[in-house]
Amino acid sequence: MLLAPDVFRRLCRARDLLQGDPEPDASPSVADVARGAGISPYHFIRQFEAVFGLTPHRLRTRSRLDRARLLLAEGRLSVTDVCMEVGFSSLGSFSDLFARRVGEPPSSYRRRARSMVSVPGRAPRDLFPGCLSLMARLPPSAFRNSGEAAPGSL
Amino acid sequence: MRIKLTSVMVADQARALRFYTEVLGFRKKLDLPVGEYRWITVVSPEGPGDVELALEPGAHPAAKAFQEAMFSDGIPIAAFEVSDVAAEFDRLKKQGVAFTREPTPAGPVTIAILSDTCGNLIQLYQPA
Repeated sequence: MLLAPDVFRRLCRARDLLQGDPEPDASPSVADVARGAGISPYHFIRQFEAVFGLTPHRLRTRSRLDRARLLLAEGRLSVTDVCMEVGFSSLGSFSDLFARRVGEPPSSYRRRARSMVSVPGRAPRDLFPGCLSLMARLPPSAFRNSGEAAPGSL
Repeated sequence: MRIKLTSVMVADQARALRFYTEVLGFRKKLDLPVGEYRWITVVSPEGPGDVELALEPGAHPAAKAFQEAMFSDGIPIAAFEVSDVAAEFDRLKKQGVAFTREPTPAGPVTIAILSDTCGNLIQLYQPA
């Protein structure tokens, strides 16, 4: 699809709203955000997903979980406080969603983060790597064919 | 000193790998687990010895802020050369790709801009 500039702007604005600071019971529904963007809910969800790769609902969940991960890694708030802070009302569903996305429950993630050496109150850098730093942890074989065009090896 | 590798930050590495291979048509070169992330690179089937593109996890909060600001302002984060931008536009549009600019002459090139569904705008350019 080809998005007109104003539609693109409105979709970006909708993304910002969905990721904004949650206010308990006041976070706008997807229908509210669609209405605010002036797009019918059907087209809104379809266009949103084509641009951002996720439905509005899933993008909001992902954003909340990303924020939860950072807050847990910083170690200042309890799991329950983080759950509320990022906008979940049920600790159970927060823990389930977090575990599914991150691979471990929030409590053990928080413990693990706290055990890593870091500046107090700041998330350990290893949990939020500068991406090219990942290269240091690759096996040597990752670079064995470096310098050659090797279509046969693909 | 040689330029062998460049990268784009992506919001989700698994989704990015699908988009860059199945939709754009690049070929996976490396996909190795590194802790909770992956080291993923893709190359073009038209130039397997070309520069590799790493699909980096955009985990750092500042990376996300930067990415979103560039995206909202319509600024592409990478540009890929194509031999027929109109054909790519038609092919990708049929696959559901969202474009913010249709093929448009711009000086010595014709460009089109698409969303990679992982937080980035990508410019395709066809030299005249």
